[in-house]
Parts: sequence; C-alpha cells; structure tokens
Amino acid sequence: MNSVPLLVIEVSLDAKITSASVAQWWQRINSLLLDNPNAAIRVDAKDLTYIDTTGIAFLYDLQNRQRPTHAEIIIENLAPNLAALIPTSKQQTVVENEQKSESKSLITTIGKATQSQIAYVSTMYLFLKECAMAMKETLLGKQKVRWAEVFTIATQAGANAVPIVLLIGFLMGVIMAFEIGLVAQKFGAVLFVADGIGISMFRELGPLMTAIIFAGRTGAAFAAEIGTQKVNEEINALNTFGISPISYLVLPRILASIMVLPLLTILADLVGIFGGALVLLKFNIGFLQFYNELLHSISSWDFIVGLLKATTFGITIAAIGCERGLTTGSGATSVGLSATSAVVTSIVWIVVIDGFFTVLTS
Amino acid sequence: MANVHIPPREQTAPAENALSVEHLKMGYGDRILLEDASFSVKKGEILVILGGSGCGKSSLMKHIIGLYQPMAGDIKIKNQSIVNANKADKAKLQRQLGVMYQSGALFGSLNVLENVRFPLDQFTDIGLKEKNLTASILLDLLEMGYAGSLMPGELSGGMLKRAGIARAMALGADILMLDEPSAGLDPITAANLDQTILRLRDSLGVTFVIVTHELQSIFNIADRAIMLDPHTKSIIAEGRPQSLRDHSEDPHVRQFFNRLSDKEQHKGE
Repeated sequence: MNSVPLLVIEVSLDAKITSASVAQWWQRINSLLLDNPNAAIRVDAKDLTYIDTTGIAFLYDLQNRQRPTHAEIIIENLAPNLAALIPTSKQQTVVENEQKSESKSLITTIGKATQSQIAYVSTMYLFLKECAMAMKETLLGKQKVRWAEVFTIATQAGANAVPIVLLIGFLMGVIMAFEIGLVAQKFGAVLFVADGIGISMFRELGPLMTAIIFAGRTGAAFAAEIGTQKVNEEINALNTFGISPISYLVLPRILASIMVLPLLTILADLVGIFGGALVLLKFNIGFLQFYNELLHSISSWDFIVGLLKATTFGITIAAIGCERGLTTGSGATSVGLSATSAVVTSIVWIVVIDGFFTVLTS
Repeated sequence: MANVHIPPREQTAPAENALSVEHLKMGYGDRILLEDASFSVKKGEILVILGGSGCGKSSLMKHIIGLYQPMAGDIKIKNQSIVNANKADKAKLQRQLGVMYQSGALFGSLNVLENVRFPLDQFTDIGLKEKNLTASILLDLLEMGYAGSLMPGELSGGMLKRAGIARAMALGADILMLDEPSAGLDPITAANLDQTILRLRDSLGVTFVIVTHELQSIFNIADRAIMLDPHTKSIIAEGRPQSLRDHSEDPHVRQFFNRLSDKEQHKGE
C-alpha cells in the first residue's frame, strides 16, 4: 500500500567525485535524507566518469542506506566500469563510538587498581630477586662485570648531570635560607637557620631532590633505552645467546647508579649549604660563624643517613627504569609509556622509601 | 535502471605522463648516487626501479616524493615540477602521491582503521561515520577488512605493508610509490600483494612506482623496469623485465635478472 513514493527527489552527480568534493556530496545527501524521510531519492550518475576511493565509499553508502521501501535511494545511469568498483559484500565498519564501554563502579576501579599494584609489587620482587642473584654471582666472581659499560653509564648518568644538580641544589639552599631567615630574624634566631639548612640538606632534601632529578633524567633514559632494545628484539637476541639481560643490561646500570647517586647527593648537599651561607651573609652571619654552627648541629650520622638513602634511591630508580624497559610492549608508544611509568613509579617509591628512612632513623 | 552511454575513464589516456624525472643528479654531500638519470612513467603504468643494495633506489624514491632536493635536474608530477615548487604547491603535489614505506610506517598509537583514516581526518571535512566507511572499504580492497581494530604492533609484515598501501590510497592518490612491498613476505602473501597491485591498477587506473629487487614480483607485475648501477651512477637498463632478462646486452643486467652468482656468470661467459 505504501510502496508508491509520495515524493521523488532527483539529484545529478558531477563528472568527478574525489576526496576534494566528496565531503560536500555526503553533507548534501545526508541532509536531504534527514529532511525527507519519506521521499525516494533518484541519483542520476550519467555525468559521472571518475571516482577515487572516497567516491567508491560514497556510492557504496548510497546503495546500502537502510530506508523504507517507498523511500529508497536509486542510482541511475551509473557506468558499469564504475559500478564494478563498488564492493558487493557488506562492510563491517569499525566505529569507535559504538565500542562498548564497560561501566565500572568506584569500588571496582579501586579494587582493580589495588590488584594491579599487588601484581606489580610481586613482579618487582621477582625482578629484584633476580638482580640480587646476579649481583651475588658477580661478587663471588662467577660472572664478569662489564666495567667499561658501568663507567660509560656512570659518566652519562653522573658526570653529565652535575650542572643541573649544582643549579637545583644551590637554588634550594638559597630559597630555604631566605624564607626561614626572614621568619627567624623576627625572633633573633637567624644563626639557627644554619642548623635547619644543614640537617634538612644532609638528611632530607639533598638525597630527595637529587633522586628526583636522577629519576627524571636517568630512570627515563634506562626505560627508553632498554624498551627500544625490547621493541627491536635485541632482548630476545640476548636470551637466544644464553646471556641474561639482567646481568648484561640491568646490573651495569644498577652499579653505575649506586656509584653516582651518592656522589651527586654530596655535591647537592655542599652546594645547597653554600647557597644558604651566601644568603645568611645578608643577615649578618659570616661564613665562619655559619660553619661553626653547622658543625654543632649536624653529626656524621646525618651524613651517613643521607648517603644510605641516596644509595637505596639509586638502586630503586635503576631497577624500576630497567624493569619498565624490559616489560615494554611493542611499538614507539609503548617505549614512551615505559619511560613515563619509570619516572612516576620511581618518584612514588622514592617518597615512600624516604618516609621509611625518616621513621626508622629518627 | 536505464542504460545510457558509458563514458571512458578519464585517466587511462595512454601517452600522458604521470611523472617524469629529467637529468636528475642526486647524492649526499660528496657521495653521488646518480649523475644524469632521466625516465618517465605513463598513467596506469607499473614501473619498477631495481638495482643492487645501496645503489640509491630508495633515495631516488625519496627524491621523487620531494623529501630530498636533487643536486641538479627536475622531477615533474603530472607535468608540475616538485623540485621548483614553493612549499604550498609542493604539499599539494605530495598529496597526489601515495607512499608506502618499507616498514609500512603506520602510526603506533593509532589502530589500523585510524591509520587508514588519518589522511582523511587531516585533509577532508568528511564525517566520522563516512570516513570509517571509506577506510573499511580500502582495507577490504586490500583484504584487511578484519584488521581495522588491531594495533600496528599486532600485525605481521605483510599486513603492515597492505595497511600502509591502504593509507597511501586514502586520499584517492592515483600515483602510488611502494618501497620494497614484497620484501620479507612469504610467497603466498607476496603473490597476493602482486595481485592486489594489478587489481588496483586495472580497476582504479592507479600508476605504480615500485622499488624492489624481488625478481618474481618484478616479472609478475612490472610493465617496465629501470635498473640503477652504483658504478656508472646511471640507469643501465630500461624495458620490459622479460626482455631485459633474455636480450640485454649488458652482462650485469642479465646476471641480475637470471639471479646468477659471479662464478656462474663467468662460467656462462
């Protein structure tokens, strides 16, 4: 009964439909179909002589639009050589918007995040265990250490990082001395600023800030470097030769980090204290006075705690960087994700470990 | 449906050049790869550039695409110089060329469908649904219809190359440049890819410039081949692969096409 079209709209196609013109054609047809749900559309293709791949898609779309029987799209006068280009099988278009998104409750999200963190800790435990075994074998002389590689990494991670560590350490000392000095001045206690700077630089800020710089600079580099090697199947090649990637790649990096991070920390401590001493000159505290006060306030234990922290941070950053590199997926994106993850995870663990140290050594 | 006069497809005019290389001199710094090379490619033709490793095949392709500036000479795409074009015109000419690089060069952060859709996203106002349909049809044309949601890291070598071709064709380029399309593929995949190239040429009139030294592929698909020589820094052979194999006067060309070792070649002489 309803098969007779109430209205027939005629459209004539141009001689060419290419990527340059197809967008207008699609917009025109889409709005025509939307405005006239009950009208039949007669598309005249007598002038059409050339279509590219987008034109093929356009004609396919016209042929396969779902419309009521009285309002179909009819393509007329389409040259057979062009008609032959249009796919006859149904296209399984992947449309991102139609992909099902799993709705998760807050509890599920927290649960899954906790689960993945527990899995990560257990993976990390196994990885560190493997590193410890490799270290033990090295110390027992069963395995050679590639010292040339260790020194190269130490140069890149340590010596090349000296300028930035000096700058950040110095500015931290300056800022801290200035801020505390202004308050202490009101109570006539400017001299005690030296105590504060000394203790905080040696025990806390020196190791912490140096470790954060090290994580951003070297931890990310370790992850990206090993991640790229993983993507290029170099890790598989090592395994095939019977060489453990832990001994060959990870151990030199951990050893280099153990060597350089405490040294960088000492440098940051000293330059920070120097920056603080410079600022205190403004508050009429001389270098000698500052030095004497510093000797009274800090002990060798403070210095040792700082170095212990730096060593632990070094092991942590190198281990996380290497582990992230070794667990890289495939493709350039995975390398980027590994580098980012190495930095974020390292910083989180640095702060957590720092907290443990503070509680245990107070 | 009423039948009317069927007009011929416009791009199959036999004598028209899709691209031409005129007295090209190219190289890097002091290292000259080609001294004075000239050749042209007709519309709808499949031209293969071949030669031994390191003779400058891929470099020649990159010069044609306009990625490198030649030391001398000119390269014309549809009679327009890409060498002397300003930045905007050069970009327009480059968009008329579809390029597939050796590794496929798909973007790792996008899935296959998004990779194929990428040129449409960048250069057209087509709606998302329509772009997805176009990309799906292209993937289907290259027998990759099932792989739209896969990431490049999940694809085999042959799939990467076919997805690379689909992306190269997305903007309707009618000149496709393929760098080593069948290298590293198994014989069946390589043969299927050869068939795909022939089908695209026959159905859409696409012109192909293919850099390869896979002999089987060359004999299967090439209308014409040019052979580069690193010693003379020139084109030492041009013609149908079969006739170069059987009738070339240059023994090196015959050795290449007959896949002979130096020992076998000397024995033959």
